[in-house]
Amino acid sequence: MLDKSIANDVIFEALSLGADFCDIFVEKTQVESLSMNSSKMKDIKTGVDFGIGVRLIYGEKALYGYTNSTQKEELIKLTRVLAEQYKKKTQIEHAFDFRSNNVHQIAAIKDLDVPLAEKIQKLHEVDQLTRKANSLVSQVNAGLMIRKQNVEIFDSEGLYMNDFRPYCRLSATAIVKDGDKQATGSWSPGTRGGYEFVKNIDTEWIADYTAKQAVNVLRAKHCPAGKMPVVIDNGFGGVIFHEACGHSLETTSVEKKASEFWDKKGEMIAHEALSAVDDGTVDNLWGSINIDDEGMETQKTQLIKDGVLTNFMCDRMGEIKTGHPRTGSARRESYKYAPASRMRNTFIEPGKYSLEELLESMGDGLYAKSMGGGSVNPGTGEFNFSVQEGYLVKNGKLTDAVKGATLIGKGGDIMKDISMVGNNLDFAAGVCGSVSGGVPVTVGQPAVKVDQILVGGKA
Amino acid sequence: MKTELKNTLEKIISFSNEFGADQCDAILSKGESFSLSAQNSEIDKYKVSGAQVIGVRAIKDSKVGISYTESFDEDSLKIAAKSAVENAMNSEVNEFEKINTTEGEFIFESEFKKDNTSTEEKIEFCLRLESEVKARDSRVQSVPYNGLSESESASYYLNSNGVLGYSSEYYQSCYTSALLQEGGESSMHYHGVIGRKLSDLNVDECVSESLTHASEWMKAKPLSTGNYDIIFELDAFSEILGCFSSIFSGKGAMEKTNPFLEKMGKQVAGSGITISDIPKYKEAFFVSHFDSEGIAHKDLTLIENGILKSFYHNSATANYFNVSSTGHASRGAKSALGVGGTTKVISAGKTSESDIVSGEYFEVHSLQGLHSGANSVSGEFSFAASGYLCREGKRVQPVKGVTVSGNFHKMLLDINIIGDSVLSTHDKGFFSPKLRFENMSVAGA
Repeated sequence: MLDKSIANDVIFEALSLGADFCDIFVEKTQVESLSMNSSKMKDIKTGVDFGIGVRLIYGEKALYGYTNSTQKEELIKLTRVLAEQYKKKTQIEHAFDFRSNNVHQIAAIKDLDVPLAEKIQKLHEVDQLTRKANSLVSQVNAGLMIRKQNVEIFDSEGLYMNDFRPYCRLSATAIVKDGDKQATGSWSPGTRGGYEFVKNIDTEWIADYTAKQAVNVLRAKHCPAGKMPVVIDNGFGGVIFHEACGHSLETTSVEKKASEFWDKKGEMIAHEALSAVDDGTVDNLWGSINIDDEGMETQKTQLIKDGVLTNFMCDRMGEIKTGHPRTGSARRESYKYAPASRMRNTFIEPGKYSLEELLESMGDGLYAKSMGGGSVNPGTGEFNFSVQEGYLVKNGKLTDAVKGATLIGKGGDIMKDISMVGNNLDFAAGVCGSVSGGVPVTVGQPAVKVDQILVGGKA
Repeated sequence: MKTELKNTLEKIISFSNEFGADQCDAILSKGESFSLSAQNSEIDKYKVSGAQVIGVRAIKDSKVGISYTESFDEDSLKIAAKSAVENAMNSEVNEFEKINTTEGEFIFESEFKKDNTSTEEKIEFCLRLESEVKARDSRVQSVPYNGLSESESASYYLNSNGVLGYSSEYYQSCYTSALLQEGGESSMHYHGVIGRKLSDLNVDECVSESLTHASEWMKAKPLSTGNYDIIFELDAFSEILGCFSSIFSGKGAMEKTNPFLEKMGKQVAGSGITISDIPKYKEAFFVSHFDSEGIAHKDLTLIENGILKSFYHNSATANYFNVSSTGHASRGAKSALGVGGTTKVISAGKTSESDIVSGEYFEVHSLQGLHSGANSVSGEFSFAASGYLCREGKRVQPVKGVTVSGNFHKMLLDINIIGDSVLSTHDKGFFSPKLRFENMSVAGA
């Protein structure tokens, strides 16, 4: 996408101006998105994002700029603007012999070149099945997003890497209405792969799941408030680890000491029952990558082993500032962002208990079957996340459906209160927003039991 | 207005017509920005950006398609135009979405010009943001988020009937945060300000607000679980209102996702509540002249004395409901036609300040989990909150580690304590008197 000789000249310019390091990120992304509402195809959108980001590093300073132009003059001008305050004349050799590294390629569900009409038909199928699933369904929103990202990375250590990253995601929301009351249920599976994923998706299951969830929420009582034990089920339940701990293990937070775990490597930060990884190498998973956005081969990073903090997720700036080794975790939404250490597929590793055993051992408490999103302040560890579908538990058995529950606490506390880990590991796709924009991530976990957490609900 | 960008719009309109569009319009956005942040008395991030995008919407046989490109060369414009027409042909008939605006030219050059402050001065300013926080309190462990940014943008609109719109904006902003730590306790608060030039940005306000709340919340305790009267600090209430703004959406009503669909002309708020959308509100930081369909903005009453009077409409939702567009079409270069508001203003009520703050109440300053803890359809919400327990207007106990829960629709209906003077959010984007909500559910200790 970018002529190597231009990349060479830009990097030469940066080093001549005294930069310790320079890299160039080139991106061309094709986007196709379809959305259906009221059983009608409402919006069909296609587009192309194209841009180039140039980063110069002087010591611990990262200077970043981007443009839509591939012109050498524009890129050199951008480099000079970036270096203006910090430049120092340096003699360097001109020629770079860019080399590429062979990296493991994750398997991806293949792309199918299907006509638009077939994709539209798939959304009609979701719409019709969902409407049939329950008579209270008053509206269905269905959408499909296909994104094909091509990236090139050049750096002043002579690295040239390129990667093709296909993404495909279906979204479905059922809205149910009974009198004045309305509620929603939703499901949005995604893969780092092609359209075959959607072609093989079980639309009947999605229709049934979203309609049932919406009706359960519609009928739910208000959740009682207070501290109580909670069993959080698998899949998107992993957002608890993502928010309560994951963000605090990114060197983006660690380097600023804005993480409650910044100086805890090698220490027990969680219950001994808990081990967790951030793994960018899992075939087909939404958060997987072959290389990160600095061109480094991605890896599986053991974050916590038997409760002990073993690693942080680290990018180049994180390594410069903290000394922790890079983990192939540098990510960004697009060329408009400098890379930062970010999660990929983050999950709690499976334990030995069944879901029923977790509920039985809890006695009375809350069962969070599916979670909404959440957020964290990594500096203090204070997090919150919402329960999308929850049930009260009495004597280990599910009773009433409840709504309006939010779980809040501090990461350091809750990690020690996860005392039992189930054996039903599952994953869910999401988009995580942080300093380098929104990136596709997978959250995951088996069911876990938290001994005590504050549940926000009706007093 | 730059002639070459107007020419780019004309080209994509012309290409769309050549590919068979019956009607089309295009939006072009171009922006430049500069930002800095500091860590440990050094600039650690320095960002310069320039980006552009053009998006075209084509209507063919009453079907709509959209496409965009970030490259403005002739080939890319042709591909985008062709894709928009092809997408329209694959779409389904949409009898309501039309491009009917035939008259008007809206040219609004920002009166605020680019600040000529040097980069050195900006760097010095940014370093001061960090150093002031550290200098004022020895418990500051770090200043994890701080920075200065400058933004200049232009937005163009052209449709196949020749309606042209142009507006530009320029502003600067800065923010800082204080992360305090002592004896195993930690607390953080963040504050930002906005202005037209560097000298408008109040470092003292930024630093004081960040430190004051972070410091107070070091001593914070959760409230006992129970029901409390709540006064939301205006920035926090603006965020809640934002979560439930779909109650005003004509598009949501058309798509049957707006919970107020059947409430037009009915009581949806306390009888003292009047909410208006005022695009050129004199106290607001940003003003808006025309919408994304080239229709002039005008004032709109959404709720009057508690009665729902109007939704936000674009031409499509207006056609659906057989009313006139309110001039609130919203569309970015990369997005489909929607609706959106400008500056919301809640009119003053009759309760004096001393009556509003009488007795005990929870003053909520900061909310977390807004993107996940609210259900815009049912109105249910549950947010983590920080603030102060107050008596007779005095803060008697800093509070954190609690959640505030309720139903926004019911909350709106139940408002009857409305302050007699209109205040503004820090960014001057929302205006409202103090509102006291009675008997709200708080979970804590």
